[in-house]
Amino acid sequence: MSRDALALDDVTVCYRRTPAVHHLSATLRCGTLTALMGPNGAGKSTLLRAILGWQPLTTGSITLGGVPARRALARISYLPQRSAVDWDFPITVREVVAMGRYQSRGLFARFTAADHDAVADALTEMDLAWLQDRQIAQLSGGQQQRTFLARAVASGADVFLLDEPFVGLDPTSTADLVQRLNTWAAQGRLVVAVVHDVALARAHFQEALLVARSLVAAGPVAATLADANLARAYGAAWPLARPQADQALALPDLGGVLRTQARSAPRPTAQPGTSAVRPAERRP
Amino acid sequence: MSELHDWLSAPFAPEHRFLWRALLMCALLGASASLLGCVLVVRRLSLLGDALAHSLLPGVGLAWLMFGTSLGALFIGGLAAGLLTALGSGVLSRLTRVKEDASFAGLFLTLFALGVALVSRVGTPVDLLHVLFGNILGITGADLWLAAGVSTLTVSAFALFYRAILIECFDPSYHRACGGRGALTHLGLLALIVLNLVAALHALGGVLALGLFMLPAVTAYLWCDRWGTMLAFSVVYCVLGGALGLLLSVPTALASGPCMVGVLGIGFLLSAVLSPRHGLLGRLLRPHHHHNEHGDEEGVMPGHRH
Repeated sequence: MSRDALALDDVTVCYRRTPAVHHLSATLRCGTLTALMGPNGAGKSTLLRAILGWQPLTTGSITLGGVPARRALARISYLPQRSAVDWDFPITVREVVAMGRYQSRGLFARFTAADHDAVADALTEMDLAWLQDRQIAQLSGGQQQRTFLARAVASGADVFLLDEPFVGLDPTSTADLVQRLNTWAAQGRLVVAVVHDVALARAHFQEALLVARSLVAAGPVAATLADANLARAYGAAWPLARPQADQALALPDLGGVLRTQARSAPRPTAQPGTSAVRPAERRP
Repeated sequence: MSELHDWLSAPFAPEHRFLWRALLMCALLGASASLLGCVLVVRRLSLLGDALAHSLLPGVGLAWLMFGTSLGALFIGGLAAGLLTALGSGVLSRLTRVKEDASFAGLFLTLFALGVALVSRVGTPVDLLHVLFGNILGITGADLWLAAGVSTLTVSAFALFYRAILIECFDPSYHRACGGRGALTHLGLLALIVLNLVAALHALGGVLALGLFMLPAVTAYLWCDRWGTMLAFSVVYCVLGGALGLLLSVPTALASGPCMVGVLGIGFLLSAVLSPRHGLLGRLLRPHHHHNEHGDEEGVMPGHRH
């Protein structure tokens, strides 16, 4: 596996003529699990879209291993939010996973034995082989998530962009997903996930990219997700971080923090005792 | 006994050659229209077909006014009006506050009213009735050739772009990630819908023709859990159901076009009740959701849509 990096250099992206991300520079190294964090409307999705080449850059460049990301799209796989998928669509698990091969095989060529093998391997890796002929609505939330992970694996990509993969997952599925993402990262892949759960990111991610229309901080989670940075990114939406900024040694009670701001942050999945349901996120 | 024999053999009498034409028309249009219907159903764009069907009328009326009833002129007029609606509503929804469905509604109602006014000015009430509902027993060889061309084009497009259409319907953002042209696919599908509607105009009229699009597709949606199966099911269902309606319309002396669409509709209603997995009875007889009986390790399914 490569040890390339996804390099964002002075990236400005405009969304409907207003800049959504300003002059952002950061380096995301392969082999890490990176949390992309920031308040709603901070430009997280815009940034993912820019990496995928769906959104033109106003300034700067995005390169993967020195090659413009636009020309390395076969190495980049995007996982949509679960709410963006029509689960009633007449399609089976295997058919969804097979779509992963369309990226390299193209939309017209016949599948080769290698393609079928890649699909079978991805199904096995995600423990979905026994469900492969099931229509996708007949799966549990975690299995649905894994179906799309398997599609990304089948594509042969080594950079994975996940848009809010933990939304709506119960603690068991969350733990399972975190473990799988960490395994991928350990294999030299780059996994970038949009995450709202600070506790989850601090505990299980290696790096973080904190944005609020421009870069707030990037690098190892401990430093990046320091309370001072979170306060800069979330402002008034990080109410308990400020009073506690003086108490350097006291870690804030994250369960409490997150409970009080249920509208802007997801449930703390690491703590099963807290409320298990949160309102569906409204996108800006 | 001989009465029954007469009743049954009536459609096959030599003076009923028009019926064979109608059957061929039904097979040609059914094969292509039902494929497009499947796309509309899974993309939740069923009303778009409706809007396009209504909006063909002013183009047809205008062509009629200027060039008479030549098939080519009607074809081009209908095509222009349909594409104007499709593109116009796209432009309206992007440049104004009005959303796409509402701009479609606004445009197609305007165009439909203009069309009815135009046709009533040019022709007799019978002509208007034919433009609205068609006359499948009165089609000509030229109509058949047009339908054959459009049907071949549509079926080949689905065969050639099977993957592109599947991803564009299921996951448009992934289609882009695979280097596909989402907007182009969408526009191509719209153009095919308009072509099929125009080809069906003489036989069924714009509005009734939509029955060949939507009813087989939505029936297949109730029975099938795979895309390929859904496409095949809807084509077979459309051709067989349409033919049955056509044959029934002769001895019962009912209008043929509505009879065809009516049979397809009855099959749809029966399916909605009887389909074991997705129908009414299936849901009523199964108190809890099916996935729980498979020993899921994760158990609950938050965010699951029905």
